[in-house]
Amino acid sequence: MTLLKNFTYLFIATLLLASCSSDDDNTVIVDPEPLGDYENGILVTNEGPFQNGTGTISFISEDFSNTEQTIYNNVNDSDLGSIVQSLGFYGDDAYVVVNNSHKIEVVNRYTFEAIATITEGLNNPRYFVAVGSNGYVTNWGDPFDESDDFVAIIDLTSNTVTSTISVAFGPEKIIESRGNIYVAHQGGYSQNNILTIINATSNTFVTTIEVGDVPNSMVVSEGDLWVLCGGNPNFTGIESNGRLVKIDIDTNGITQSFDFDLTQHPSNLTLDGTNLIYALDGGVYSNDTSSTSLPTDSVIDGLFYSVTANNGMLYTTDAGDFASNGTLKIYDLVTNAEVQSMEVGIIPGGVYFNN
Amino acid sequence: MKYIILIISSALLLCATPLYAQLDSIQKLEEVILNDVKLNEYAQGYKLIKISDSLIERDSKSLTDALRFNSTIYFKENGYGMVSSPSFRGTNAQQTAVIWNGISINSNLTGQTDFNTISPNSFTDITIRNGGGSTQYGSGAVGGSIHLNNAISFKKKESNDLRLLYGSFSTFEGVFKTIQSKENLYFDLGVDFVSSENDYKYLDRDKKNENGEFSRFNAAINSGYKLKKSSIIWNSNYFYSDRNFSGSITSPSHDNYKDVTTRNLISWKTNRAKLTSIVKGAHLFERYQYSPDKNKPLFFEGKSNTILGDYQLDYQLNNKVKISSIINYTYIEATGDNIGTNDRNTLAAVLLLKHQVNNKWSYGINLRQEFLNDFDNPFLFAVDGKYEAKSWYTLKGNFSKNYRVPTFNDLYWVAGGNEDLYPETSYQAEIGNNFQWKNFQVLVNGFYILSKDLIKWQPGVDGQFLPVNISETENYGLEFTGIYSKNFNKHQLDISGNYAYTSAIDKEKDKQLIYVPYHKITGLVNYSIKQFSAYYQILFNGEVFTTTDNNNTLESYSVSNLGLNYKIKNKLFPLKVGVKANNIFDIYYENVAYRPMPNRNYQIFLNFKF
Repeated sequence: MTLLKNFTYLFIATLLLASCSSDDDNTVIVDPEPLGDYENGILVTNEGPFQNGTGTISFISEDFSNTEQTIYNNVNDSDLGSIVQSLGFYGDDAYVVVNNSHKIEVVNRYTFEAIATITEGLNNPRYFVAVGSNGYVTNWGDPFDESDDFVAIIDLTSNTVTSTISVAFGPEKIIESRGNIYVAHQGGYSQNNILTIINATSNTFVTTIEVGDVPNSMVVSEGDLWVLCGGNPNFTGIESNGRLVKIDIDTNGITQSFDFDLTQHPSNLTLDGTNLIYALDGGVYSNDTSSTSLPTDSVIDGLFYSVTANNGMLYTTDAGDFASNGTLKIYDLVTNAEVQSMEVGIIPGGVYFNN
Repeated sequence: MKYIILIISSALLLCATPLYAQLDSIQKLEEVILNDVKLNEYAQGYKLIKISDSLIERDSKSLTDALRFNSTIYFKENGYGMVSSPSFRGTNAQQTAVIWNGISINSNLTGQTDFNTISPNSFTDITIRNGGGSTQYGSGAVGGSIHLNNAISFKKKESNDLRLLYGSFSTFEGVFKTIQSKENLYFDLGVDFVSSENDYKYLDRDKKNENGEFSRFNAAINSGYKLKKSSIIWNSNYFYSDRNFSGSITSPSHDNYKDVTTRNLISWKTNRAKLTSIVKGAHLFERYQYSPDKNKPLFFEGKSNTILGDYQLDYQLNNKVKISSIINYTYIEATGDNIGTNDRNTLAAVLLLKHQVNNKWSYGINLRQEFLNDFDNPFLFAVDGKYEAKSWYTLKGNFSKNYRVPTFNDLYWVAGGNEDLYPETSYQAEIGNNFQWKNFQVLVNGFYILSKDLIKWQPGVDGQFLPVNISETENYGLEFTGIYSKNFNKHQLDISGNYAYTSAIDKEKDKQLIYVPYHKITGLVNYSIKQFSAYYQILFNGEVFTTTDNNNTLESYSVSNLGLNYKIKNKLFPLKVGVKANNIFDIYYENVAYRPMPNRNYQIFLNFKF
């Protein structure tokens, strides 16, 4: 049925494509038939309450005029599962990582119709990235066992885990650049301080790089990988400063690094043009990639659970008391003024753009 | 003195029914000694409900069930047999004190009692005291308190009871109790255990309750020795439970949790004319072990030792006025993988006064001040009164200030523990109306509780959760309890029911607190003829909110149970046989979101007396 629908969309799309080329001559503009209800908009992953509930996904249309909660449940009449950690895209599909249910739900990213469920070979999955026809998923394994962490490799055609690569403990964010996969070892319930590099062609371990304590977010900008390290928090008894690290992707060497104060623990690195944006102590800071020092003043104030820049806008989420619906607030990064605020689900942890 | 006994015994006659008893000093009979003297003597303006042995017998596997089906208290049970937290008049589990023979036994680590870690078979008397009781029982007696008592009775008796139960989901229970007593000596020993696979099928789902196995073992010894003008009592209790924590619909689980508690109390009571003195010494121990994966050796542990000394001096000024003064010293030491090692000293001075103004009017005043603490404990007070307006109508009322101190977890947990916390405080007022017409009794109680500086864990600037004194709540509600019993020829009919309306508002959000139902109803019909008895239990639990914005709810449900007992009258070997079907209509319900409760299930038991 789903397959049939996909073919139908493909068929319509091909028709439109064909007609578009001729339309140019006639100067008649025909909007392409939408690929589904959730094309062109924002997807927010909501972790949901821990254990006694389900995570959800909220959809907000591109012009903010239309908001829909619990879209997976609405379409498929079932729950996603416990702790919707993140999602990643591959072609027309979205891979929804459900941490505490130890699975990935594969859906059509535009219609949100369920395609497959991957459970075999996953254990506390965290983040997903697609490279070629493979998906790579960081897994904590048993969170109290520091020796069973791994990256699962998924064949995205059959949607099965085909192999795993053992990695150091606490793999979290995962990003691809120029054929290499970078895994940041935030450290799970504890703390770690390295990146693991995996060759995406041979699916083999390349090396690890020590970056700073608790690497929690990464972005790629013009041949450089920027890694933001939060530093060890105070309660560990070995508190350490946050650090922003620049790595040359060709050499995998650290070319620049900026230290924060000992008690400063930044998070949520995201990129807007050439501006590196991150959250720290109830504020959002912005710094050009060419800057030689860290900024002292915040551009936006607020305590956010996640911060994501896209097309000159900053999408922030607030989880409130973590026991009720959260909020998505959108800021214009030119004026730093709030332009939109809307309710999303319980503990909104990730913002994705479905274009 | 005679006058008081007269009042008490008439009250006893008026109130005693086979099912519940409105406990106006029910244990005043001379030969019965209860360690918790305050419960009977200084609570005339409070609603006391005794959960009788016959009620316990119907739900002997679980104190949660016994109270859930027979009182207005709401329980949030994290899957059947798992952690069970009470909500008394809309307050939380940490604001409900559990009192064992007069001593608070709420965990020093969590501040609450998990009602699935108490064996209901271990006590002679379980009483629910509605309303604030911090002046008498200390921290946590805010919404109400549940009193587990072992009465010592100095009269000639020899009894042995053995009870065996088998039920669905491979559930076994065994209870043995022996009592040996004479005029000056008392000894009882009770041992009971329960084990259950607890692997019930989730209705309408292709899934069953996984990793929900539990077992528990309880042993208790109570003994007493009576001299001419004094008596010595020793109460002792050992409890062990080993539970896997079941998963939810969306999340599997491999957890395991083990609890051990031991409790010992020695008290020495001396009577001298108008003076009575009671000296008490007690030791309480609790330990938990939590394994995130039962198949691996890793576990987290926490334990605590409590030592307390208590001196109470009662002075009967005249036949109308009685005064008690109590000095209590408590030393607590707690240690754990997440809280390090810390201790706490508390010295409390309590003054209680009771005045029987005339044969209609009586009132009481309670004062408490604590010293030596890490934080400034508030000065606490309680005033209560009772007015017997008519033979069929009694008016009761009370007003009190109560508190709860931060737990060791709140203060020292790594990460987040906040040593700057101070006690929560709460004011409460209550009016009670008792109606009595022949064999029909109705209690109507209205209450109001205002709590502030409530401790709540919330995220700080760095995203780290930490507890702060921030919340304010306002609870109010109405409770109705009705009891009817009728005896004709060889037939006996007992009907009882409870209804509670509870509003518990988070003042900041102006929303109902999560997991507090507006409506709760319980009902029981028991019919006996000769050796047969049949009963029907029903519980209606109203809708509850599961998120603090009241956007998500858990549906209301009603569950019915049906039971049949038969007594075989044999002088040498009396025997009782019973069968019970729980959830007879096989309804699907969740008590906590995403955690289905058991489908229809059965149990059969045998009671031997020898």
